[in-house]
Amino acid sequence: MTAPKHCTLIQALFAAPPEKPFITEWNDEDDIRAVTFGESIRLAKLQAAEFLAQGLLAGDRIILIMPQGIPLMTAFAGAMMLGAVPAILAYPNFKADPDKYAAGLAGVTQNLKARFVIVDEEFPTELSTRIAMADGARLVPSPIPSLGSAEPSLPALSLEPHGLAFIQHSAGTTGLQKGVALSHGAVLTQLHHLATALNVGDQDRIYSWLPLYHDMGLIACFMLPLAYHVPIVMQSPIAWVVRPGVMLQLISAFHCTLAWLPNFAFQFLARRVRAEDRGSYDLSSLRSLVNCSEPVRAQSIDEFLSTYEICGLPSDVVKTSYAMAENVFAITQSPVDGAPRRIWVDGQQLWNDGRVVPVTDKADKSICFVSSGRCIDGNQARIVCADGTNLPEDRVGEIMIRSDSLFGGYYNRPDLTAQAFQDDWYWSGDLGFFHDGELYVIGRKKDLIIVAGKNIYPQDIEEIVWNHPAIHDGRAVAFGLYNPDLGTEDILVVAEVEQEEQLKDSVEIERAIRNAIVAELDVSPRAIYLKPPRWVVKSTAGKPARSTTREKLLAEYPELNRD
Amino acid sequence: MNEQAQQIIGYILKEVVRRPSVEIHEDTPLVSSGLIDSLELVNILVKLEDVTHMRIPAAKVQPKDMDTVNLMFATAQRLGRPRK
Repeated sequence: MTAPKHCTLIQALFAAPPEKPFITEWNDEDDIRAVTFGESIRLAKLQAAEFLAQGLLAGDRIILIMPQGIPLMTAFAGAMMLGAVPAILAYPNFKADPDKYAAGLAGVTQNLKARFVIVDEEFPTELSTRIAMADGARLVPSPIPSLGSAEPSLPALSLEPHGLAFIQHSAGTTGLQKGVALSHGAVLTQLHHLATALNVGDQDRIYSWLPLYHDMGLIACFMLPLAYHVPIVMQSPIAWVVRPGVMLQLISAFHCTLAWLPNFAFQFLARRVRAEDRGSYDLSSLRSLVNCSEPVRAQSIDEFLSTYEICGLPSDVVKTSYAMAENVFAITQSPVDGAPRRIWVDGQQLWNDGRVVPVTDKADKSICFVSSGRCIDGNQARIVCADGTNLPEDRVGEIMIRSDSLFGGYYNRPDLTAQAFQDDWYWSGDLGFFHDGELYVIGRKKDLIIVAGKNIYPQDIEEIVWNHPAIHDGRAVAFGLYNPDLGTEDILVVAEVEQEEQLKDSVEIERAIRNAIVAELDVSPRAIYLKPPRWVVKSTAGKPARSTTREKLLAEYPELNRD
Repeated sequence: MNEQAQQIIGYILKEVVRRPSVEIHEDTPLVSSGLIDSLELVNILVKLEDVTHMRIPAAKVQPKDMDTVNLMFATAQRLGRPRK
């Protein structure tokens, strides 16, 4: 196994050929911005000089809340140049509730003990004036440096491989997010293994719409291009959602070779791009589209491939990967030559006994799983039962991982860190099995809901529901249900009203609950079922039992079961 | 309510919201109330283009510009170009 060529991300960036294209940012047909590696280094240095003048020091945590694009990316690199530790948070959208947003940000600044929160000039004033931050933190509007400014001289700093490079956030609502602190060494080690597994080379160009506050966007589509000098063509997530066909135009025009997408995106692209536009795309340049960050569904892949076959899309272009922020990114990657393997197993034996019994694809109650591939270099995974004892191949259990890029712990949260590890193995919380040496991920151990690649804890939704005065405190259950039309999960909520007669106001109650969930979590439940008292099934401990309540609801509404 | 607004509301109720208890008027908040998800905007935008006979540059459209039916038509007026 070879080692990464550079000791820090900044050293890797400085080694880039200055004239090579780095970031192409598509905002609209008449608004495309592009910078070379040389220009982006210059912009990052200008940002660094600005931060330095504001008093940012090596080791300081700095939170960046800016729209997706070149200024955010160069501010991130600029902060790293000073040895400061940047963390990107989601830019608030118009649905955010100002009070909740402010409280969430206060929680993050407190947890990271951040000294600066950098926002762009268009950051909503109704939010910036209400932000209450932890002691010592300052809100600073970011001036965007222009390329014409003279290149500043920065103090000579020797960054160390074991020094913190940045913090990326794992699942959770804003205030409770777990910060995963990563060193330059860990990130470069992961990128080295990933680049080797994907055979990343000079001919590559990455396309991305992925948010940079998420590991798939930050690591695969920003840090990998930065350290391996791969040009990247990007849009914002919202630009992609409103007109997904532009992604295919950009891949055609820029001859992109690599992209990462969550599972739902494959189905979204197959169904939401106008059929009459498809003839104009040439997707033959693509060599790997990696399906990652939510459970992989064969149906979504097949629908995508058959829709875009006419555009020259290679039939084995979709690859798979199992990845998580705690490991910097990937643990497994399916081979670059060929399609990931599939297995059909007996559904009854799988769900009842946790046994993987292969059957034919036509067998009654067979379930298809798509392999996430083998562990990449430096990474190990094993399947265990609840006490951490190893399970053999073809048995379902929790996936534990160990690697040479695994994080050391959640930032400032020794309590959460202690729960997450057994010796040097990390409890992933995901369920899966090994078959012929390849990992198949089948879902979450805990009831985490994954909507379009975004992780949502059901308890975050349930708490919002309880807060409505008409809902019996503690008597609400939220869960995810796979929607085959979308290729991702829908959120369903069931809640008890305090008094049965309140059900006559259910339209109004439902509207208020829906508003509150959207304002706080930026997700919309597919349906909210209001029920009379004592409907929600309780566990022996008197708490709502999610799985049995879910079964009860699905039995009452069989039309919900479409998988 | 004019005919174009009726067409859009009918489409949203039938194809997107699909819940009989829901009523929508021209100024009912849709995205911010969670009645529709931003993933649905692509189809609504296509419908809006069909109804108004305009081509609307999607990259300039923010979800807040599509939050009510009235805002949708204002957005079409502001950004749209007649279809060729």
